[in-house]
Amino acid sequence: MPDTKEVQTEFKPKILAFCCNWCAYAGADLAGVSRFQMPTNVRVIRVMCSGRVPPELVIRALANGLDGVMILGCHPGDCHYSEGNYLTRRRAHVLKRLLEYIGIEPERFQLRWVSAAEGAKFSAVVKEAADKITALGPNRWGDKR
Amino acid sequence: MKATSEEVQTSVKKLFEDGSIGHFIGYETGSDSLHVTPCFLKSGQAASRLVWNPLCANNLSKYLLDFKKVEGKVGIMVKGCDSRSVVELLKENQIDRDKVFIVGIPCGGIVDTEKLLAVLGISPGEVVAVDDDGDAFLITIREGTRRVQKEQVLRGECLACRYPTSVIYDVLLGEAVSSLPWVNNDYIRVKELEALSLAEKERYWKRELSQCIRCYACRNICPVCNCPECIFDKKAPRWLSKANDVSENLVYHLVRAFHVAGKCVDCGECERACPMNIPLRSLNKKVEKDLLELFGYTAGIDVEQQPPLTTYQVGDLDEFL
Amino acid sequence: MVAPRIGVFVCHCGTNIAGIVNVPEVVEYARGLPYVVHAEANLYTCSEEGISSIKHAIKEYDLNRVVVASCTPRTHQPLFRNACADAGLNPYLFEFVNIREHCSWVHMRNHQEATEKAKELVKMGVAKARWLEAQEEFESGVYPAAMVIGGGVAGMSAALNLANQGFEVHLVEKEPKLGGRLLKLNRLFPINKDPSELVESVVKAVEGHSKIRLHMPAVVKAASGYIGNFDVSIDEDGQETSFKVGVIIVATGAQVLEPKLYGYGKLDNVLTQLGLEQRLKDGEVGEFQNVVMINCVGARIAERPYCSRLCCMTAIKNAALMKEINPKANVYVLHRDLMTYGVEFEEYYRKAKEAGVRFIRYTLSNPPKVVGRKRVKAVKVYDELMDMEVELPCDLLVLATPLIPNDDNAELSKILKVPIGDGGFFLEAHVKLRPVEFAMDGIYVAGSCRWPADIRESITQGYAAASEAVIPLRRGLVKVEAITATVDPKICKGCGICALVCPFDAIELKESKIRGLEGKIVSEVNAALCKGCGLCAAACPNRAIQQRGFTDMQLLSMVNALSGKR
Repeated sequence: MPDTKEVQTEFKPKILAFCCNWCAYAGADLAGVSRFQMPTNVRVIRVMCSGRVPPELVIRALANGLDGVMILGCHPGDCHYSEGNYLTRRRAHVLKRLLEYIGIEPERFQLRWVSAAEGAKFSAVVKEAADKITALGPNRWGDKR
Repeated sequence: MKATSEEVQTSVKKLFEDGSIGHFIGYETGSDSLHVTPCFLKSGQAASRLVWNPLCANNLSKYLLDFKKVEGKVGIMVKGCDSRSVVELLKENQIDRDKVFIVGIPCGGIVDTEKLLAVLGISPGEVVAVDDDGDAFLITIREGTRRVQKEQVLRGECLACRYPTSVIYDVLLGEAVSSLPWVNNDYIRVKELEALSLAEKERYWKRELSQCIRCYACRNICPVCNCPECIFDKKAPRWLSKANDVSENLVYHLVRAFHVAGKCVDCGECERACPMNIPLRSLNKKVEKDLLELFGYTAGIDVEQQPPLTTYQVGDLDEFL
Repeated sequence: MVAPRIGVFVCHCGTNIAGIVNVPEVVEYARGLPYVVHAEANLYTCSEEGISSIKHAIKEYDLNRVVVASCTPRTHQPLFRNACADAGLNPYLFEFVNIREHCSWVHMRNHQEATEKAKELVKMGVAKARWLEAQEEFESGVYPAAMVIGGGVAGMSAALNLANQGFEVHLVEKEPKLGGRLLKLNRLFPINKDPSELVESVVKAVEGHSKIRLHMPAVVKAASGYIGNFDVSIDEDGQETSFKVGVIIVATGAQVLEPKLYGYGKLDNVLTQLGLEQRLKDGEVGEFQNVVMINCVGARIAERPYCSRLCCMTAIKNAALMKEINPKANVYVLHRDLMTYGVEFEEYYRKAKEAGVRFIRYTLSNPPKVVGRKRVKAVKVYDELMDMEVELPCDLLVLATPLIPNDDNAELSKILKVPIGDGGFFLEAHVKLRPVEFAMDGIYVAGSCRWPADIRESITQGYAAASEAVIPLRRGLVKVEAITATVDPKICKGCGICALVCPFDAIELKESKIRGLEGKIVSEVNAALCKGCGLCAAACPNRAIQQRGFTDMQLLSMVNALSGKR
């Protein structure tokens, strides 16, 4: 619904990022150490492996009104637990398509690969997500139609 | 459908007599001539209750879960779709193959009773019997018989059925049917919905799912929804609030679609059981289509085949980077 | 159930955090969060002072949960966990919130939003901490013996290393002699020495060592168990023998490719480099005037893209040797690239050139051609530098072929449940950070079975694998971080999905022995094998299997805290 108040409140999305301990979380740490500045929208939840993130949790997070949910894990082939991210990948395919099918913009749920050495990539991913989701506007999951 | 009710009755009686089974799950006439209901027999004496006709919609495999601890083998009558549910239950160790005697019955399609009444312009009380007549259904009403082309009144899942004959059985009643003549293009409805814009999709599903009263009939009737403590019944953590609003309904249906991913065989029971006529098949069919396209997987065919989300290929599609 | 009493400690980290995030505001905010009974700021929570402050607060305020909001758990979690343990609080009742790397350092120009974000992160951390449970780390004993599979230089080095440290070693070798390929070699590069001396001394040491039990010829038939507790069964010359070991080292080596190229096996005078070594060793190389050697035969091609690393040096070694034996002979080495890395190898190559060995480069798209029917008469090669084809007379053609995986690698990988990588060689846990161990705890790898290795590298890797293997042996026990999976057998329906997704085969379906559930088939997690990845917990539709420290309740509470839902 368009804001007709005099003072426009700028939409600032709230984005959840599940980061795996061995790669993505370490990449986020490296981004911090390197002082790569980024938008403030992302909140990280640490998991040991991206494979720990169940699709139910992503669905719940979006249903709660979070504007975006990301899973960040190791590049395929590099998973600390050898196979976890391959399973994450399959789940993400099915979930992404299902979300889009019911009218959720695909950019709201993302799976990205960020290694422990990719501090720059982490900040790029954060910035990209913030930009894209800001453009989409607030999550309308809870809006009655 | 080549086998008749009489043939079913005779076969089942014999199975009891020669000791092959100690129980049998089949169909019998229900509350009226338009309904059929599951029938549970403990001996061949009452085998004459059994029926087989185009009203036998129920997926009886669900009831196998209630017979896990009985003495003796449980016989069950399964159509193609139902037998695929049996395969899925076997995959998940929910039933013991040695304790089940599967009577496969090739199927020529099940009638959607609402479509039938609408097409014929009659009321339920007027129907006496429904029989399979090759490419049409023969409806016996009080004034005589009417012939209806099958495509006009088949249930949605039958219009897309690729497995009319049981994929697993100990005995097959009747001639195997390899394919049904009206099935040529799958996922028509899913593709229609996929082609809508995001806004139209949102509108469609919110409209449909705002009707959901969270009766959980779809979950309760589904054979592969058999968890001892369903995720939606848990209190710690609580995944769903009790609120019956569309956003919670969406969570329920999406999570359930995900949980039955790779196990749903499109038997259509969920949609049939839904008191609010929600097009649930269109949701599960979407997942089924994606699993086929992405991973070449079809549910309920091979007991040895691993569920698609428990395995992977190094070369799986990767759009994520 | 005792109500949670959470203490929150927000770190200034000097000005690293406090310079951007309003720490007092965060502390004040934390005080208002559910179950928080104490909140304070520290200048440096990781300092002596900060640690004391935590310990003091635990006692003073009877805290049963601690949340520290500072830097990253990847460096400081053990420190704070220990502080809790010292104060009598179970170390797993501690939660870490990152407000430095993930907040103050990356939002330096936006103090207000950084502070808001820090508050939310603390809110999430407190929400999770409320659901943390005390955990005990599982301890497993280590049987004080090792098995080394393979009696080549890598295996023998590893075995001697462990035996010299006082551990019993079962050395399993499938051939009737120790020494592996070293037995077939004539000379070692770059020292040009006869390997017999090296082999004899090592073999003698192995055979004579009181701690080494030699099983030869023998093959491993079955192995089960986990680090500290492997049950192995071998076939020793027809007899089955079983024993227990705590660690296993795989050093089974590789084999030389016998190619189907350049007339090998068909024409009389074509040998592999290994074949030449044997002839030289036996003194049976005969007369020769024109030796042509071709490198990269069956290597660095589409179906085998890797470089086998040793063949260039082998070729140069033998080429120089042939020149030594017959200085008037023409010796050519036809190569694609020359892998003569380091000082010694480069020097060796230079000396070979000085001795008169000729080197001609060819390309993959235009390989040499053999001329001759029953014997090789000549070799045609397109010389890149001269931009013309030359025909070299040849009475002895020697092919440098790569090391390829042994045929029984696949079977051994199944027995030990260790992975095979590209090309059929064994795959280590991490190519850079964990080069001599498998992802499977307690099993290590050395030598050419992992990747073509020369003698020096094989020995080095043998020592390295032994020194990794000795760690659990010496400790006598293995501790597993308490983030492993646990199953609620009341809810479990025995569908086996968790067992299917576990990358470590740590879950098995078994009959429950719990009272009231006797006979029920449920999943059981082997805590020694479980690595705490959580794949099982995400896959279970029933949520019967949970990962300690990352339970559904804990994760969902963080999501709800962030989104403002209860």
